Amino acid sequence: MTSTATKENTELMAHLLRRAGFGATRQELEQYLDKGYEAVVEDLLHPTDAENMPDDVIRRYHPEQSELRDLTSSGAYWMYRMISTQCPLEEKIALFWHGFLATGYTKLNQARSQLNQVEMFRRNGLGSFRDLLLEISRDPAMLLWLDNTDNHNGAINENFGRELLELFSMGIGNYTEEDVKEGSRAFTGWTLGNAEYMAVRAYKDSIWPYSRIAWHFQYREEDHDNGEKTFLGETGNFNGEDIIDIIAKQEAAALFITTRLFQFFAADEVSEEGEQAIAEMMQAYFDSGYEIRAVLRTLFNSDYFKSESARYARVKGPVELIVGAMRLAGSYQSPTLGIEKVTNQSFFMGQGLLQPPTVEGWHEGSEWIDSGALVERVNFVAQEMGNTSSPGVRDIIDRLSAGNSDTLTPDDLVDQCLDLVGPITVSDATRATLVGFAQRQGDLELKDHQPGDESEQRVANMLRLVASSREFQLA
Amino acid sequence: MATQAGTKTVQMGYVKTIGIVNNGLNGRGFANPCDLAVHKDGRIFVLNRCDPPRASAVRVGICNLDEEYLGEFGYGYGQGDGQMVWPVAIAFDSRDRLFLTDEHNHRVSIYDDSGKFLEKWGTPGSAEGQLNGPAGIALDQNDNVYVVDQHNHRVQKFTSDGKYLLGWGQLGSGDGEFNMPWGLAVDSEGDVYVADWRNDRIQKFSGDGSFIASFGESGEGEGQFHRPSSVAVDGDGFIYVADWGNERVQVLGVDGSFHVLLRGEATISKWAADYFASNPEEKVERDNSNLIPELPDHLSSPYHISSQTESYFWGPVSVSLDGAGRLYVTETNRHRLQVYQKQ
Repeated sequence: MTSTATKENTELMAHLLRRAGFGATRQELEQYLDKGYEAVVEDLLHPTDAENMPDDVIRRYHPEQSELRDLTSSGAYWMYRMISTQCPLEEKIALFWHGFLATGYTKLNQARSQLNQVEMFRRNGLGSFRDLLLEISRDPAMLLWLDNTDNHNGAINENFGRELLELFSMGIGNYTEEDVKEGSRAFTGWTLGNAEYMAVRAYKDSIWPYSRIAWHFQYREEDHDNGEKTFLGETGNFNGEDIIDIIAKQEAAALFITTRLFQFFAADEVSEEGEQAIAEMMQAYFDSGYEIRAVLRTLFNSDYFKSESARYARVKGPVELIVGAMRLAGSYQSPTLGIEKVTNQSFFMGQGLLQPPTVEGWHEGSEWIDSGALVERVNFVAQEMGNTSSPGVRDIIDRLSAGNSDTLTPDDLVDQCLDLVGPITVSDATRATLVGFAQRQGDLELKDHQPGDESEQRVANMLRLVASSREFQLA
Repeated sequence: MATQAGTKTVQMGYVKTIGIVNNGLNGRGFANPCDLAVHKDGRIFVLNRCDPPRASAVRVGICNLDEEYLGEFGYGYGQGDGQMVWPVAIAFDSRDRLFLTDEHNHRVSIYDDSGKFLEKWGTPGSAEGQLNGPAGIALDQNDNVYVVDQHNHRVQKFTSDGKYLLGWGQLGSGDGEFNMPWGLAVDSEGDVYVADWRNDRIQKFSGDGSFIASFGESGEGEGQFHRPSSVAVDGDGFIYVADWGNERVQVLGVDGSFHVLLRGEATISKWAADYFASNPEEKVERDNSNLIPELPDHLSSPYHISSQTESYFWGPVSVSLDGAGRLYVTETNRHRLQVYQKQ
């Protein structure tokens, strides 16, 4: 059902797109409103043709993003995907899993295989949590990252088996040390092709003689422990698949994953109302056979998610902030010099793509903000929104001009800019500051504006200030 | 592999691999090579596009078939005389002057064969004679210069000092139309072959731009292409195509019929052998590895196969010929050349 473009509906749709995507331009919002909220939720949950910048075009102009030998080019390649996708939840869920099932370049020196993992997150990220855990258990980057290449029959390495329980599914307190050992036995023989050669190359960061050789999964039957195992109270000759089956049906796993999804998509802090939403998400988890899609559908359609309590309840992560600003400004829609610098900006703000600091991923929420990161965040978004030659900024200027045949008062300018970059709702104090700034130059005449002239620059300056506001830094 | 079409037979024998990745700013090895031109004295001039961390070292490296690294030249990254930003292709004229296209600077730069910058021409735009992303470049026997003007979806013909002569093409998929064309070649008759990149075909024209024929279609089969990036034609009329998106090279007959498919079979170059001599622990594990692995379904595209199979072409961006029947395949992603001999 179509959503009438009321202020409330528009704000709700913008809220949804900030969480399930990277925000939306006004034109996109209008298209979404034509479809209606529930239909948009379903579209987002069922990505089809992402229509992102084609790989062949990227690879032609950026051979380094074809080779993907190093971190910067690989992060830039993913950045292009996020900036240009028409299926934003596909990328957003990949970003979520990249932080939740974290692997880092610093140990692997193998960005191509990390990007293969990201592609796996796109394929499976909204499907069954059981299937996803199985895929990550076969993922060569994860296997080397957590030393399962050293997990042998008769000489187990517990690193992967431990993190599978502690960080990837259930959390501390829901399993025993014996479960870790027995689970690790089940994953013996799960390794990557040419593991010994690839491990030497990774350890030495060797690119020689002919650049990186990407990785693939290999199961070595002769190295697998076929003995009986007891895991989370069940006993059998378990292989890795059986371990994943047992984990996925645990209530602790349902609570663990739904809570993390809630914190990424709804609110950094879980309130009492939030706990109720999580309970509903857990029910959807079991009812659907562990489908992440069903869990998120429940969340996005919940009263809690639609309520004021969930608005601006998350700090945008650096990647969300950067991608959101670039999508709004419409920059980097074709291969362009300097995209790798954008990737570096994200790192400076504390979130380097493909380089989470530890296996725990990033500490999110208010930990994104410190004095150094805040300066980087504000500078970046202000620069993006202050460029009157960017197509997205031009669209905002044109809409302001078309909607105002007469002059804009300072109040009009502030309110309409806040509307067109979100809409976002700001505190009275923030609004007063913005209006005070606009009042310095009085009313604004946009009727005969020309690209980059003084009147356009005044709009751009207001957009820079809006982008610098506390509320813009929140999702 | 040998095939016969009419009275002509072509057989391509693998000769050797030249190269090693160079992640420094100069010296032996290649850095995302994107094209090469063979001097009539046998020296191989290799255009290194370089990645952003090494952009300041964008350059032409020179070696020979004996894998001796003979030197290099470049003038840095930028828009000044001799400088480059995103170089694409190089070609020699009859006077051994090296013509180089730069798709970011929208111009052609010319150097002598010692690397000395001589002149440049070209201005950005879409009017006659202007360039928007010049890509492939080739010269005919009279030293007329053909330049692929990729974002204007056309080919333009100039005198060697940059005077506009004629041009043809527009965006489209019909005969004589292009979609982001890339490489081109001129045969001994003066006919022009264009790698019509996003139309997945090779088009043949007379020297004045009259359409003659179109070869290939989209696909992974024999005679089909996925984003062909480069084309070369030998004295017998065989057409060599860098089937870039399929990570392979195909050889076609005069009439465009399929003859030979090459997937690459790289071996250890002299420079690579030097590396392993000083890193024996890698060589030991390498010798115990299966470097042509079977891959799961989700990694079965040509691109993924090549990323995992070191001997196969990966990013075979350019095909070049010398006067002795050798084919040189430049691989951007593997920083090397694979050399074949027509037999």
